[in-house]
Amino acid sequence: MRKSVLGVAVLALLLALSVSGLALAQETIQLAGWSSSDAENAALTAAVEAFEAANPSIDVELIFAPEFETFMQTGFASGDYPNVFYVDSFRLQDWASSGVLEPYGDQITDSEDIYEPLRNIFTYEDQLYCAPKDFSTLALVYNTDMFEAAGVEVPTTWEELGAAATALATEDVAGITTGIELPRFLPLLYQNGGSILAEDGSVSLNSPEAIQAVETFVGWYTAGVGRSPADLGAGWAGEAFGQGKAAMTIEGNWIIQYLLDQFPDTNWSVAELPAGPAGQATMAFTVCYGVAAAANNDNLEASIALADFLTGPEGAQLVAAGGFGPMPARASAADAWLTARGEEFAPFVAGGEYARPWSFPPGFGSFIDTFNTGLNEAIAGNMTAAEVIESAAEIAQEAIDDMS
Amino acid sequence: MAQAASVKSVATRISTQADSKFQDAVAGWVFMAPAFLVIFVFLVLPMLAAVFFSLTNWNGIRPLFTGDGSFNAEAFEMVGLENYQRLLIEDGSRQQAFFTALKNTVYFVMGVVPVQTILALGLAVIVNQRWLKGKGFFRTAFYFPSISSSVVISLIFMFLFASNGIINQGIKAIFPSYENVTWLNDATGIIHALLGALGITRNTVGGWATTEVAGIPLWNWLSGPSVTMLMIMILNTWTTIGTMMVIFLSALQNIPGQVYEAATVDGASAGQTFRKITVPLLRPTTFFIITLGLIGTFQVFDQIYVISSGGPADTTLTIAYLVFRSGFDDQRMGLATATAIVLFIIIFIFTLIQRRITGGDKAI
Amino acid sequence: MGAVTFDQVGERSPFQKILGRVLPVVGYVVLIIAALTQIVPFVLTVANSFKCLPAVNAAPAAFLPLPPFGVACKTPEGETLSADATSSGLAFNPAVEGYQQVFQQNLGLWLVNSAIFSVVVMLLRLVLDSLAGYALARIKFPGSRLLFIGMLGTMMIPAIVLLIPRFIILRQLGMVNNYSGIIIPLMVDAFGIFLMKQFFETIPSDIEEAAQVDGANRFVMFFRVILPMATPALTALAIFSFQGMWNNFLDILIVVGGNQNLWNLPLGLSFLRGQSGEALVWNEFLAGSVVTTLPMAILFFMFQRYFVEGSTYSGLAGQ
Repeated sequence: MRKSVLGVAVLALLLALSVSGLALAQETIQLAGWSSSDAENAALTAAVEAFEAANPSIDVELIFAPEFETFMQTGFASGDYPNVFYVDSFRLQDWASSGVLEPYGDQITDSEDIYEPLRNIFTYEDQLYCAPKDFSTLALVYNTDMFEAAGVEVPTTWEELGAAATALATEDVAGITTGIELPRFLPLLYQNGGSILAEDGSVSLNSPEAIQAVETFVGWYTAGVGRSPADLGAGWAGEAFGQGKAAMTIEGNWIIQYLLDQFPDTNWSVAELPAGPAGQATMAFTVCYGVAAAANNDNLEASIALADFLTGPEGAQLVAAGGFGPMPARASAADAWLTARGEEFAPFVAGGEYARPWSFPPGFGSFIDTFNTGLNEAIAGNMTAAEVIESAAEIAQEAIDDMS
Repeated sequence: MAQAASVKSVATRISTQADSKFQDAVAGWVFMAPAFLVIFVFLVLPMLAAVFFSLTNWNGIRPLFTGDGSFNAEAFEMVGLENYQRLLIEDGSRQQAFFTALKNTVYFVMGVVPVQTILALGLAVIVNQRWLKGKGFFRTAFYFPSISSSVVISLIFMFLFASNGIINQGIKAIFPSYENVTWLNDATGIIHALLGALGITRNTVGGWATTEVAGIPLWNWLSGPSVTMLMIMILNTWTTIGTMMVIFLSALQNIPGQVYEAATVDGASAGQTFRKITVPLLRPTTFFIITLGLIGTFQVFDQIYVISSGGPADTTLTIAYLVFRSGFDDQRMGLATATAIVLFIIIFIFTLIQRRITGGDKAI
Repeated sequence: MGAVTFDQVGERSPFQKILGRVLPVVGYVVLIIAALTQIVPFVLTVANSFKCLPAVNAAPAAFLPLPPFGVACKTPEGETLSADATSSGLAFNPAVEGYQQVFQQNLGLWLVNSAIFSVVVMLLRLVLDSLAGYALARIKFPGSRLLFIGMLGTMMIPAIVLLIPRFIILRQLGMVNNYSGIIIPLMVDAFGIFLMKQFFETIPSDIEEAAQVDGANRFVMFFRVILPMATPALTALAIFSFQGMWNNFLDILIVVGGNQNLWNLPLGLSFLRGQSGEALVWNEFLAGSVVTTLPMAILFFMFQRYFVEGSTYSGLAGQ
């Protein structure tokens, strides 16, 4: 009896030693991101475990950092940062131009399957830097009860949108609400054929199309059929919409679960954004798995293997099956997402084909601030649409001169 | 035993003055050593690094070290005083942003510091009264807003002051004709609003109003804080008076009761006692509170980060927020550190001035 | 003991008598209004932390908890209950959904970390800040003025630009991702030294001279005579240090941001907030705020009496 106890103990000790010995021979890579919903975090953890099972020599340490960008920037500056990490499309050019990312586009499995607009977002100086994790697009979210009561059809053009907003607006309810900010305005710019930068990288913002787009956007608010979320007493457009204070809003996939959880009494549906004179356009917000540059990455191969595993055809299926807010970045997984999430959300997927990137050249932070201020000032009547465009174009030019 | 020690100490005291000076120097440095080390390594060295970065065009991202720990000289170039020039002298968006931030910050400081100091002193004096019942409750209640982190407090404040929030609903219940004010998104300057009520506007005051100083028209310099900024000022005052009250309270406790008794015997009135005894005796504490107030308000950041991010129309853009915006949002760490150094110099000058005024120089 | 007392005046005119009656009443009214403005927001915070999500959005001002208590926010089939089902007017049915969600996170661990950081840093600051503050206030030594001005100067630069250089130093010293990286840089703070220095300056120097005559050396005198007299200031310092550490976010983020096991409550709370972006899950977040704030509030209530009762100095002064 005693002997067997001793034997087991010795065996256990040997086992423990050999396991720890193995662990020492292991490669450890850090994967850093921000935290999403509990369900999404759990799904990512499961995907990482599947990767570890398939690659027994690699350990993955999953990090969810609060204030992610500040956390990452501190790491970048010191040269000591995680091997694999989320890169918001908005930050791609800043980070790629600073040399903290390793482009691994040529090692992505079947990259043609990834939506083309998304591949373009993560391409900097003709190199595809990283593979997208998932994405969201903007669509028109509308209150079905209000539409029915007012007898309004779902708008498909600018004219119809304006008319619908006017018909739906009442004393207490705005026809439409959006954040008074660049990402909500940009679809109009593109729908009208405007642009911020020309093909050659020069500033092309200052155009009649752009001014007309600002006039249209600002016009909703000055006419009173549109009201800002703050004006409606809400923190953001989704909240105002959920509270029934607005009949329409322009929001992304993240609004789905929010409305289901927090406003079970509101009846709503989704449509593609109405087309402008120059056709359809929406914004894509996406995140990729960046890999740390070779100079700061001791486990480059393992890092790329992990990123490719999470974003490859299988990874996309995992994202789709979860049925979370964001959509899989691969066309092959779109149907699986719609099945899991609901067919009625097809307009978000459709946007993937014609979405424009929420992404800017390095140093464009103050451009966005200036533009946001301009939109607010125009609504307050302190600036004209032409002045808004002019001041923003000036700042864009300054940013480009600065960086060259 | 006590006598022996006493004799010994007398002997020590009559030893040469140079000797006691040396002992003081040793004692002083021994007392200071741990504090000095920590402050030097974790505050002074980083500050020197910031001064260095302010002379470069570093973007705050390019790694300063490579993976093997060697210094990466290609992370930045030296640009001399260019960052300072762009902030302070050259016409352009950088200069305009800096002076807008300076204007907003100065209004913030001038509004908050006197009010929070006076309110804190008032509350401390009242809470210190002998007749007061439930002192513990009141002290805790006044300190309460200081307890939570500024992020939590700011979120609660936003919740209350939302344009359809509890505050507006309350006002509307009392004054039915009241039109909702969007407290947290109103760029109207309060001095402009007051002048406007008197019929004075940009167009009626004459040509000087459009003259630009540092990229900003004179009329805009006189805007006063915007409504939103005023709300953040109130929030800031509300959360800091608790802390300041506690400091005043501990100082009030330190004034010996006998001093007041003597004054009472001499027939001094309550007001006289306050002016002639309390205020002078609180001088070092007042200097401390105002210095802290200046340092804290000049660097106001958290509430702005959470509530307004510098908007609406840049009216809550403060210098500290501009530092964050250029360094972490706009990828211009060189410019951000230069802004921080200029802010440092401004605070330093203000502190010296207030030291003269409050008589803090006698306290140091 | 009290500062300006309205009832101490010897000879009283009728006017003063009336004033003596009226002033306390006015005082109480002012105090109660002031106290209400400080407390009401927290009552609302607590109330909303106990609501189901739809009720937070629909009836934020409801503050009267009515039975049934502990209602479920979802039907057994998983449907979210509408706002009207759990609130009406100013009343609501309390639910613990927010707290359940918060406690599913690592809240217990973050609470323990917060407590460790706060207690250790507080104790170290009580000793080190007072030592330095005393030296600056009372010992004439070469460089003291420069030290004081330099120390004040460190408070005048926005902390955000020191973040990256400080992280690099911490990394060189091998202090990233462990307790030492949090505690050592924060065990002294300029604010505390300044506070203690200003306090020691108000202590009459004859007390020290008396102690010196008794042959006490500087250290003995400091710990035996000076520190016990400093109870009010030490209490203030203890509370500020504890609270500063309890709420500290940025300093801790850069040291242990990547290691969830070493997070404190503010990092955890920010993690909860970051999860949902704009679509803040209010009841969960407010529940987290209550859990974060409550220990500090209790601690303050327990210690605040030392501002008054702990002051041994007033007794000594008459000797």
